[in-house]
Amino acid sequence: MSAILFFIAAIGVIAGAIGVVTLSNPFYAVLSLVGHLLSLAVLFLLLRAEFVAAAQVVVYAGAVMVLYVFVVAYVGDEQQSLRSTLARRSRSRGADGRRPTGVLFAGALLVELLIALLGSGLKAVEGSGAPYAPGSRTFGTPAYIGNLLLTRFLLVFEVTSLLLLIAAVGGVVLARRRGGLDESVDIDYAPLAIPRPLGTGTMAEAVEGPSLAYAHAGVAEAGSPTESEHDGSGGGW
Amino acid sequence: MTLSVVGYYEPWWIQIIKAIVIFAVALGILPLVIVYERKLIGRFQNRYGPNRVGPFGLLQPLAEIIKFATKEAFRPSTSVGVLFRLAPVISILTAVAAFALVPFGDVQHIFGTPVGLYGVDVSIGPLYLFAFGAVAFYGIMLGGWSSGSKYSFLGAMRGAAQLISYEVSQGLALVGVIFTAGTLSLTGIVHAQEGMWYVVPQFFGFLVFLIAGFAETNRAPFDLVEADAELVGGYFTEYGGTGWIAYMFAEYLNVLVVSGIVTTVFLGGWLLPFGIHPPGWVDPFVVLAKMFLIVTFFIWVRSTLPRLRYDQLMSFGWKILLPLATLNALVTAVLVVVTH
Repeated sequence: MSAILFFIAAIGVIAGAIGVVTLSNPFYAVLSLVGHLLSLAVLFLLLRAEFVAAAQVVVYAGAVMVLYVFVVAYVGDEQQSLRSTLARRSRSRGADGRRPTGVLFAGALLVELLIALLGSGLKAVEGSGAPYAPGSRTFGTPAYIGNLLLTRFLLVFEVTSLLLLIAAVGGVVLARRRGGLDESVDIDYAPLAIPRPLGTGTMAEAVEGPSLAYAHAGVAEAGSPTESEHDGSGGGW
Repeated sequence: MTLSVVGYYEPWWIQIIKAIVIFAVALGILPLVIVYERKLIGRFQNRYGPNRVGPFGLLQPLAEIIKFATKEAFRPSTSVGVLFRLAPVISILTAVAAFALVPFGDVQHIFGTPVGLYGVDVSIGPLYLFAFGAVAFYGIMLGGWSSGSKYSFLGAMRGAAQLISYEVSQGLALVGVIFTAGTLSLTGIVHAQEGMWYVVPQFFGFLVFLIAGFAETNRAPFDLVEADAELVGGYFTEYGGTGWIAYMFAEYLNVLVVSGIVTTVFLGGWLLPFGIHPPGWVDPFVVLAKMFLIVTFFIWVRSTLPRLRYDQLMSFGWKILLPLATLNALVTAVLVVVTH
């Protein structure tokens, strides 16, 4: 039974990975990556790593891929497939060394993985894995992993969380609006050039609260009437 | 009596029977919930609700299911065929799979075989729920995207953003309970509530989880995903017949799952107050009664509160609910460390 499941999941993993790099439509490529991650979760389950499998689905298939799907669904277009975009870029900018660099990195990754794999002497192939022992503190359970994270791998764990914190702060800094849009490309979408009353759902209100939005809108100072909406366009959605 | 006793050791045929029973129970309760909601909302709005088909209108959902099932299966010419058909299936499968987590009772001996009255009692507990919640997102997203319609797409985008935003608070709301109970297994959490139901010590967690549950199931007042005044029907605008009914069932099933989890985690599951210990076969009915109360609350809220604006939804989720849930988890952690 587990052998059958393993082969189904393994085929899913490999097919998903191949799909990511070969499908020309970015949306399908992302979906293929989702399939890959879900199959990977099944492989984790077969290794008795329940917590890792669930975390894989929640974090990667759930949170990370959701953002990918978002972006691709908004921006992606069948006419603008990834391949044609890449081809156009490589034509316009010429060979700028990205391809050899990519090959170099892929080769480095391959060597690393091979070292890790062969370094273990392929002993895992002979073994039968962790025993199938029920209980709340056996291999693969959250308690077991939590113990390991807070004792043996404490330093790595803390460093990783610090790294994630830096990434989050960096994301906020990068996404923060700087300077605003160029006036020439700004299109006034408001049907009437009257200031929008407060409490009618401008994004500026949502982001900054009513009083600040009011100050921003500059209604009192007779500023640009629809400025609050322009501000809002950078606030979020 | 958690998974160390049964867990992995249930024979395979019991697991198959359980899978069938869960599917049958879930899809059998749904029409009842739907007719209950329609009648109750009718009463809230000073009208009768459905009362023509069968006694007291009880056969109304049956008639509707027959109607939907016999409708012509069509799809827009702009839609993507395979994904368009696959998306509702994802939605309903993940909902049923999540329903398997709800424990309806402890381990019982049925004809001499120990059977846990739940689908699965996994060691990862609520994470299982969130894993399937994460996959359920693709049911909504793919349905909206593959419809090839702007309304569907906007509805799907809203739904996705809403699901991500409130999933965080929902997860954090459970953290306090997990700290207190010291286990992730849902049956273990129920057993830990022998003295006092967690709705008392974890009241803020309860509130946050319930509110986030409204958002996660796209119910009023958070039903912006299907805001009919602006988006026609949201992500399932282009669906008719069986696809539509699959989405509808998935939504109501998610309501049942949330009420089941609230019952299990905060309302003591199958436990009764005042130390009453009925025989084992009563347990599922206790759980069902508690779930019924929460479903009633869901319907009550739906007919009482107006729909939020989108920016209100987002700022409420991120600025009020999330800090509250975090604070709850933090305070609980400190208290657990101090008292132990």
